[in-house]
Amino acid sequence: MQRRDFLRNSLLGTAGLTGLGALANAAAAAPAAKAPVKLTILHTNDMHSRIEPFPEGGGQWAGLGGMARRAALIADVRAQEPNVLLLDSGDIFQGTPYFNFFGGELEYKLMTRMGYDASTLGNHDFDNGLDGLGRQLPNAGFPFLIANYDFSKTPLAGKFQPYKVFVKQGVRVGVFGLGIELAGLVGDKNFGQTLYLDPVAKAKEMVAQLRGPEKCDMVICLSHLGYKYDNEKLDDRKLAAQVAGLDLILGGHTHTFMDAPEPIQGPDGHAALINQVGWSGINLGRLDYEFAPGAKRGGLASAAVVPVRGAC
Amino acid sequence: MLRSFRFTAAALALVAAAGCQRGPYRPTAHFAPATSQPVGKTQAEDPAVAALIRPYHDKVTAEMQGVLGTAPVALTKKTGESPLANFVADLQRQRAAEVLHEAIPLSVMTNGGLRAGLPAGPVTMGNVFELMPFENELVVLDAPAATVQQLFDFAARVKMAVSGATYTATPDGHALDIRIGGLPFDAAQAKPYAIAISDYLAGGGDNMVFFKNIAPRHTGVLLRSAIADHIRDLTNAGQPVTAQVEGRVKVN
Repeated sequence: MQRRDFLRNSLLGTAGLTGLGALANAAAAAPAAKAPVKLTILHTNDMHSRIEPFPEGGGQWAGLGGMARRAALIADVRAQEPNVLLLDSGDIFQGTPYFNFFGGELEYKLMTRMGYDASTLGNHDFDNGLDGLGRQLPNAGFPFLIANYDFSKTPLAGKFQPYKVFVKQGVRVGVFGLGIELAGLVGDKNFGQTLYLDPVAKAKEMVAQLRGPEKCDMVICLSHLGYKYDNEKLDDRKLAAQVAGLDLILGGHTHTFMDAPEPIQGPDGHAALINQVGWSGINLGRLDYEFAPGAKRGGLASAAVVPVRGAC
Repeated sequence: MLRSFRFTAAALALVAAAGCQRGPYRPTAHFAPATSQPVGKTQAEDPAVAALIRPYHDKVTAEMQGVLGTAPVALTKKTGESPLANFVADLQRQRAAEVLHEAIPLSVMTNGGLRAGLPAGPVTMGNVFELMPFENELVVLDAPAATVQQLFDFAARVKMAVSGATYTATPDGHALDIRIGGLPFDAAQAKPYAIAISDYLAGGGDNMVFFKNIAPRHTGVLLRSAIADHIRDLTNAGQPVTAQVEGRVKVN
């Protein structure tokens, strides 16, 4: 009861952020029509092999993080919420001796155990080369989504997919991944013949696919591009401003601790939210969504590249 | 109630009209209870996950505590010529020569590239990780004589030693009387000098910009592994871990 009140209050408080205020009002006018579907998104980024909490001893993050604790926290949320998506934005590898000794095996096994639904690839996930990454993939019981790396000329051809659609009580959530340019960041021999493709073009393609044939109600981008750069370099904020039809960008790479998700207005006037939760599993990100059955999405309907259709 | 009925009727009409189609859902975000939930000390562990971690933890701990060798005296780091930088630069040169089957006349390691000294007494894998936490690879650069001159001028400004060479640093930061393998450095030599170095420094790290345009030859050996292997080799040969400041840089 209390939680329901809280959700209702926060719905009123944040409706404007979605850029769909008018539609939210329309939905509020028919509250008893059908119970909205709830979706809880939990997410991490840049966990950097931080299996155990940071060691005690006065460092900035001493005693924080730890995957056994995160697992318990996630289990608590799952016990309370009907629909949970658990996502990660890359750089799972590198940072503690666990990676040096086991090559990422334990990281993937624990993420699988926690029930991660998907991750994307960060630059450090290439630190043991394509072979090192490929060797660990059997330990990951979740897909890696990456739309802008072409692995077709590498031994990892066919191991990844650009996107995945998750269906929760009839609600279709499309998730795709974007990675940062590897040249200059990762040793040439570690990414081999992997081709880097334009993230903006790929994101537009993904939105068209997910909003179109895949008939998604929500589109999430797992990004390892980075939150914000003051130069020309593409970041999550620039991506959100250039690509219509994104609802949420879960970011990484810049290890940014965000107090709250940032809404960025897209070309269609619809605001995408960006969130990033630091690094090393110090925090677990959480966003709760409600899906009200309703009319066509505002803004999106008018964008030619993002046709909105009913789903079958 | 009435509204509810109307909505249902409308929805049914839509379904009837469009066959299998349904209306799309619209997402509305809530930021509750927090969008960034700390995983702090008060959060209990999942015991099953903790149990999964334990054997890995025990292996890492055992490995990190594993003694590779013994240092009678601590190998310290400092600017200028230091025992630690001499130790690492020398083993870089030796390992690169072994891997590439050729003589490597020079080797470079900066003070900043080494993150901690080796303590007196037992030297553990953990000590080597603290010394070299980075995944740097040992590489070889084939540097023309002009670049080697730049290297020594760079070295002279910070009185840094170069493994395989001796020189005199002038007060205004120039390198004089450079000797490589005991022979005078020939600034007009056409044949490049092979330099063992980390891929980080080879790529222009620590302001060694003059190396940036030289394509490195790979050894495939991590610098940390090279250090650990060398200490093990010393131990297997019954030798202690030692290095001295031996006057590779003379200050004029």
